[in-house]
Amino acid sequence: MMDVVLQQVVNGLALGMMYALLALGFTMVYGIIELINFSHFSVFMTGTFVGLTVLNLMGVTAVSRALTGWTLVATLIVLFLVTMVITGLLGMAIERLCLRPLRNVSGTAPMITTIGVAFVLINVMLLTFGPQAQRFPSLLPNWRWPLYGTAEITFKQLVLFAVGLVLMVILSHLVKRTTLGKAMRATAQDADAARMMGIDVDRVVVLTFFLGSALAGAGSLFFGLYYGFTGYYIGYTTGLRAFTSAVLGGIGSIPGAVLGGLCIGLTQSLGGQLLGVKWTDVMIFSILIFVMVLRPSGLLGVRAPQKA
Amino acid sequence: MIALVGRLGARLGVERWRALPIARRRQILTPALLGIGLLFPVLSGNAGNVDAAANAFTYVLLALGLNIVVGFAGLLDLGYAAFFAIGAYGYGIAASGQLKPEWSSLWAPLEWAGQVSRLVIPGQPDTVQFHVAFWPMLAVSAIICAIFGMLFGAPTLRLRGDYLAIVTLGFGEIVPVVARNWEGLTNGAQGLGGIRTPRWFGYDFGFSPYPYYFLGLALVAAAVWISIRLQESRVGRAWMAIREDELAAGAMGVNHVHYKLLAFAMGAAVGGLGGTFYVAKLTTATPDMFTFPVSVMLLVMVVLGGLGSIRGVVLAALFVSFLQSVILQDLTEYIHALGRLVGSAFLQGVELITSLELIFGVILVVMMIFRREGLWPAVRRVSALTREQQTAAPTRGSVVDLAWARPEAAGGAGRPLLEIEGLRKSFGGVAAADDIALTVHAGELVSVIGPNGSGKTTLFNLITGLIAPDGGSIRLEGREIGGRPSHEIVAAGVGRTFQNIRLFNNLSVMENLLVGEHARLEAGVLGAIFRPPRVQQEEAQAVERALEGVAIFGNRLLPRIDHPVYGLSYANRRRTEIARAIMTRPKVLLLDEPAAGMNPAETLELMDLIRGLRGLGITIILIEHKLDVVMDVSDRVVVLDHGVKIAEGAPAQVRSDERVIEAYLGRRRRAA
Repeated sequence: MMDVVLQQVVNGLALGMMYALLALGFTMVYGIIELINFSHFSVFMTGTFVGLTVLNLMGVTAVSRALTGWTLVATLIVLFLVTMVITGLLGMAIERLCLRPLRNVSGTAPMITTIGVAFVLINVMLLTFGPQAQRFPSLLPNWRWPLYGTAEITFKQLVLFAVGLVLMVILSHLVKRTTLGKAMRATAQDADAARMMGIDVDRVVVLTFFLGSALAGAGSLFFGLYYGFTGYYIGYTTGLRAFTSAVLGGIGSIPGAVLGGLCIGLTQSLGGQLLGVKWTDVMIFSILIFVMVLRPSGLLGVRAPQKA
Repeated sequence: MIALVGRLGARLGVERWRALPIARRRQILTPALLGIGLLFPVLSGNAGNVDAAANAFTYVLLALGLNIVVGFAGLLDLGYAAFFAIGAYGYGIAASGQLKPEWSSLWAPLEWAGQVSRLVIPGQPDTVQFHVAFWPMLAVSAIICAIFGMLFGAPTLRLRGDYLAIVTLGFGEIVPVVARNWEGLTNGAQGLGGIRTPRWFGYDFGFSPYPYYFLGLALVAAAVWISIRLQESRVGRAWMAIREDELAAGAMGVNHVHYKLLAFAMGAAVGGLGGTFYVAKLTTATPDMFTFPVSVMLLVMVVLGGLGSIRGVVLAALFVSFLQSVILQDLTEYIHALGRLVGSAFLQGVELITSLELIFGVILVVMMIFRREGLWPAVRRVSALTREQQTAAPTRGSVVDLAWARPEAAGGAGRPLLEIEGLRKSFGGVAAADDIALTVHAGELVSVIGPNGSGKTTLFNLITGLIAPDGGSIRLEGREIGGRPSHEIVAAGVGRTFQNIRLFNNLSVMENLLVGEHARLEAGVLGAIFRPPRVQQEEAQAVERALEGVAIFGNRLLPRIDHPVYGLSYANRRRTEIARAIMTRPKVLLLDEPAAGMNPAETLELMDLIRGLRGLGITIILIEHKLDVVMDVSDRVVVLDHGVKIAEGAPAQVRSDERVIEAYLGRRRRAA
């Protein structure tokens, strides 16, 4: 019994890393312009196809054998960099073309726009890559080490932990220690005041979209590597779980997004073990609703998402 | 030449049409549209088209329901398909053999009513066979959905709009998942089958599209009628007020919890009708019929037509449904034909129907960026002011004749009207109200002054229930109102204006004033829909009073009464807000810097008005920075500084008070 739980904890934390990366994008955009960015789901989904294409261009296909040694490291670095840059640019394009014209429009209009963008991206991918699931190359070797009893940890999971931690450390450095980070935090506090202090708010917003979407790109590679497939439809469910992570951690809070992501990962793996996989989404959305009702500011949030 | 004549004719026709009053237009349009609707099956003579139209009516119905929630009340519901599903499964389960509970005598009344029968299989316990009739289920589904609407809505009441959207989305996800996994109830992914078709006095609707077409038409007509009636009623105005500014709506007496839940319930009920109708027509229900894309399609319909615009939503829903069922297929065939003609394999391979959701996405983005009000918005065209109206010399009205605004004499003569004791409120570490005591007698005019940040507006917010006090008591006519919700306080007789004007911007001057009367009117949902004589009379009187309320500003607001208030000048918006506050028929009126931004002439006019209101017997508490105004009109002046009352007394007395001078100008430097 213990080993089953331990196994699910390891699995859950690995999944949680993916949700955390996605949740970071939600939380950063919300923190800056108080917008729930629905298109984030589909940027994530698009990222898996970008990664697939990048791998194919590098000659790694679904039938290739797992890589090892420096080839693996180099491939991973190129894969992550290129995918993250492309999804980042996609996020920037969405902000620039669809959301900036609505920057000063209050109410639900910007959110409805992001739903529209999500539908456009999903269907463009559907029409381009077809409705069937695509196999994602399993380029990581299938190494595994026993932990306790039957529980084990795989090399895949270790890579996810390592890459996730590196990205989070970089992000944290960026937000806390750089001029851009300071500008971002200032804009999140009060965009007008930031503008008056000479901060180019439009640039900060667009860069936030870039960062958030780049992290979503990394998350999408996690998805591909972990599950070994992708499809046009994966964004919605995964995205909603990631959104729940952001809300659970406290929307707008960067450490909260990470914590929330890990919690949702654990809920998925342990809850799936306990109640059956088919109820996973019901559990996760119930968490979402309970958090919203009982503690809208989330675990680590400062600002409650209530009306002013 | 012909084109020119045609255009001229059309122009004249349109102009003349616009000149007709709305009631007359409706008298002409209603039979015309119903006639077209009734004749369509005969004229089209194609069962396929009739079937497509009957399906389209389902979506029109659903879009109208969603429009109540999103368009009227401004609550973005992204899981609306959940109600469609609940209505559908409700009828599906009651009219199929899915559930076979064991027989007990409790079922006997339903058996007697012919809705269930006792299934006897030898050797097994008897079971219940459901075959509930369609017509009662129509009502039952609507009620079940209304209850679920309130259940789903209740947790979201405290949340901001975008969070509400997410929570509704969560519910919208949970419902199909439950439908897929609770196999005992719903038969899982295969869905319910063998659902009975409706009967009408022995005539079985069967699988012909015609009876469903007429039933759908009747349901749509009913939903349109209900929507129009609600929109133009006390209920609809309350929804729109919440949509425009929830806080101000509360301060005008609208109970936002009640009206939001009502919107959820009404919207969900209509969704339940749609679900019941759809499933009866299809005779099957599967979980895939109610997923997120359906909710988004309904949102597309509402956004395309125009949020809150009934005619726009109906047309857009028809258009989108036909886009799906007819237009895209026809277009695809044309493109294929064109492809064969020019020999292009690409054109021959185009399948537009697979791009349907892509088109939805594009519609949402394009509409939001370029035309947020929708293709056929709800806002009426108002004629511009004539030259005479624009250049007319301003006249002044007076409040002398507003008999209805005169508060009843307070019970318990000699008692103060408003008593505040030990009132405390702090934000973080800052005390915005620190042990404030204030007594105001009926008919008095008390001014509250103090430097910026001294807690004046906080005091108003505490009295009107916008924020809850940390301690102390506020009594109006001896009744405690401290900490009560703001709509109750309005009903008790406290009206207010806001420092930074908070009108309902997209509503007209008249509608703003009518919202002000909310607490003094009684019509509920049924009254709004069926409009009995009592409600008609109430509405007529409300409009009459609002006209009188506008007339206190002479010809300033009167010609602009149907204009949306966002287009008014600053001073006119202030005036509208004051008139709106008077419409709540306050015993105590709190005016928060009414003269801010007004020029000297306008200020004098305002002072006359304030004196007039006193003449009516309305007690006034005034926050004002223009000290000449304060000194001139007040009986008594209260000075706040850092949340503490530092002085109180007659104007002249306060003016020479050391501590007041110190608070305003700083401490005099002591001679060294």
